[in-house]
Amino acid sequence: MCAASGSSSVLLPDFARTTTFRSTLAIAGAFVLGTVVLFGFVYWQTAAYLTSSFDALITGELHIIAGESPERQLAHIDERLDNDPRRVRIAGLFGADGHRIAGNMESLPGGLTPDVPAAAVVVRVDNQGRETEKVRLATEPLPDGNILAIGRNIEEVAGIANIVRRALILSLLPAFGLAVVIGLVLSLRARRRLSEVNRRIQSIVAGDLRERLPTRKSNDPFDQLAASVNLMLGEIEALVHEIAGVGNDIAHDLRTPLTRVRARLERGRARATTLDELRTVVDQSIGGLDQSLAVVTALLRIAEIEHNRRLECFGQVQLAPLLREVGDLYEPIAEDKRVTLQVEVTDEATVHGDRDLLFEAVANLVDNAVKFTPEGGRVTLALLRRDGESVIQVKDTGPGIPETEREAVGKRFYRSDKSRNTEGLGLGLSLVAAIVKLHGFRFTIAAGPGCATEIAFPPR
Amino acid sequence: MLPMLEGQENNSRGEGESDGRRLWAPDAVGNDSAASAAENEPMPKLLLIEDDKETAEEITTELGDRGFDVSWAADGIEGLAKARSGGADAMIVDRLLPGMDGLTIIETLRGEGIRTPVLVLSALGAVDERVRGLRSGGDDYLTKPFATVELVARIEALLRRPTESPDTVLRVGPLELDLIKRTAKRGERNIELLPREFRLLEYMMRRKDQMLTRAMLLEEVWNYKFVPQTNLVDVHMGRLRHKVDEPNELPMITNVRGVGFILRAPA
Repeated sequence: MCAASGSSSVLLPDFARTTTFRSTLAIAGAFVLGTVVLFGFVYWQTAAYLTSSFDALITGELHIIAGESPERQLAHIDERLDNDPRRVRIAGLFGADGHRIAGNMESLPGGLTPDVPAAAVVVRVDNQGRETEKVRLATEPLPDGNILAIGRNIEEVAGIANIVRRALILSLLPAFGLAVVIGLVLSLRARRRLSEVNRRIQSIVAGDLRERLPTRKSNDPFDQLAASVNLMLGEIEALVHEIAGVGNDIAHDLRTPLTRVRARLERGRARATTLDELRTVVDQSIGGLDQSLAVVTALLRIAEIEHNRRLECFGQVQLAPLLREVGDLYEPIAEDKRVTLQVEVTDEATVHGDRDLLFEAVANLVDNAVKFTPEGGRVTLALLRRDGESVIQVKDTGPGIPETEREAVGKRFYRSDKSRNTEGLGLGLSLVAAIVKLHGFRFTIAAGPGCATEIAFPPR
Repeated sequence: MLPMLEGQENNSRGEGESDGRRLWAPDAVGNDSAASAAENEPMPKLLLIEDDKETAEEITTELGDRGFDVSWAADGIEGLAKARSGGADAMIVDRLLPGMDGLTIIETLRGEGIRTPVLVLSALGAVDERVRGLRSGGDDYLTKPFATVELVARIEALLRRPTESPDTVLRVGPLELDLIKRTAKRGERNIELLPREFRLLEYMMRRKDQMLTRAMLLEEVWNYKFVPQTNLVDVHMGRLRHKVDEPNELPMITNVRGVGFILRAPA
């Protein structure tokens, strides 16, 4: 409908300018050309065959008659002409000076080589009148000086050409017409589909991210393309939602400390009576601002890691010393909290990666574990081998993470509700997830009492 | 002798912490000759290249109060010209400047053989940016926004290059660190140190009387390119302090609340 109502141009209607229509026309043209060549070939072969059989016929007859006695020759010529209801035979006996002795040819055409059949134009004279004909003609000089000429009308060949031409027209015209119609239909359909797609794309551009391209479940290339585009649109929609969600989270995590700062400053301004009290308020406020800044820093860090910009720092990293180093680093912190931190190394693995980032990831896991483990608990940092791959495992006896929340933990800013009152940003595990993803390793939060986080290193 | 920082004032609450103003004051070490020298020594000259007028005024005022003579250039071209004319003991260079990028200024200066220490200031805090800043010839890198004390501590660190003495034994007051035997002693008392604590103490002894902020320690001693969530530095420093300063001894390591740590010989 859209196509039909489209404005027609000065020279070509709208549909004629579509690619589909043009290619249909081109294919139809090629088809026509091929058919014409084919029919031409058939005609040429048939004509050649007929001509050569005529030639054989007239040469044979020529030789037979030439070999007879002069009287017999005359009789034979007459007999030959009498037995010719289709009036295709031509024969003549001419004297050496060229005058006609017998036969139905008015005169002997010039330029003929004796004994070689050739095309010629002769004038037939018989009881029905005098007419010019196209013939194949062969001549032979006789011993008595006369010239014998035998020929055959070749208008049948022209007839065949007519038949072929008619057949050509009869078969080509409908085929060509059909091609044009099909081209028209296809191009209209394509146009309709395209304008539908265009319309939807316009609406996506206008901001409706739920819109999808139409498919017909036919699995044709167009459908496959539409399906791919739809898949892409789905990804984009999910990403945009994620970004929107992250935006909300950022707003929340920044607003919370900022709100506190604001409240403190207001209260301090109203209530502080001494310089010292005011200074305390200012100190607390600076702390709150630092916390907001830390959120921004952590976010930028995650963005940096997610942008893969550090691949150049990759090298061979020995995991066992890395683990021991993290253990040494956090041991005093754990001890201060009366939490046992134990390092168990039962595997000696080397992986390809950025040591600083991997250190940061493991340190974050241990940091979290120590933070969320209550006094008297235990944190185990282990390097082990399982199912052919090395695994770094951090287990604690803290409150653990409920199964329903495990997926969400890897996302930015998530912080289990139970830990809302514990210091720290919700970004630690997001950071770990980003680092692990960059390396192509696997990060999982395993079930079990307490919390168990794992980084698995699939063999390369 | 350098002008000293005034710490975050008035935080005398909390044990083991000190009032920054009192302890982080000029010449608490009590070295007479150094003190008298300080009076004659001219104020250190700083060149600040920063395009934001407000930030520049803030920094200039703050550093001026702390005894620095700060001259200010508002764009890259002017900054480079001033830097070339010499006279500055250290430079503070913002990365994003009109006219000429901060890193280009530093690279140009280094290319001309001008070795004035440079502190790069930038809102680009990413690790890679930091590496780029240091690679182009900057001596230190500070991400905006920053605490003023952090800036001052770092400038002071730039002006007072650590003692790279060929001695294999470092000494601060009664404290002795043998770099070959990897042993530490305070007076006659042996101190058992873990490798990391040894490195920390060595770093501090090479920079005695100098304010060392947590960020500086993290970067230099732990080689961290990230800020851990837990305050690792405080915990490890706490350990070291317990080993260095026993209850009956005069404290050598001072925690200036909200700022950092100083190691100095007991007064």
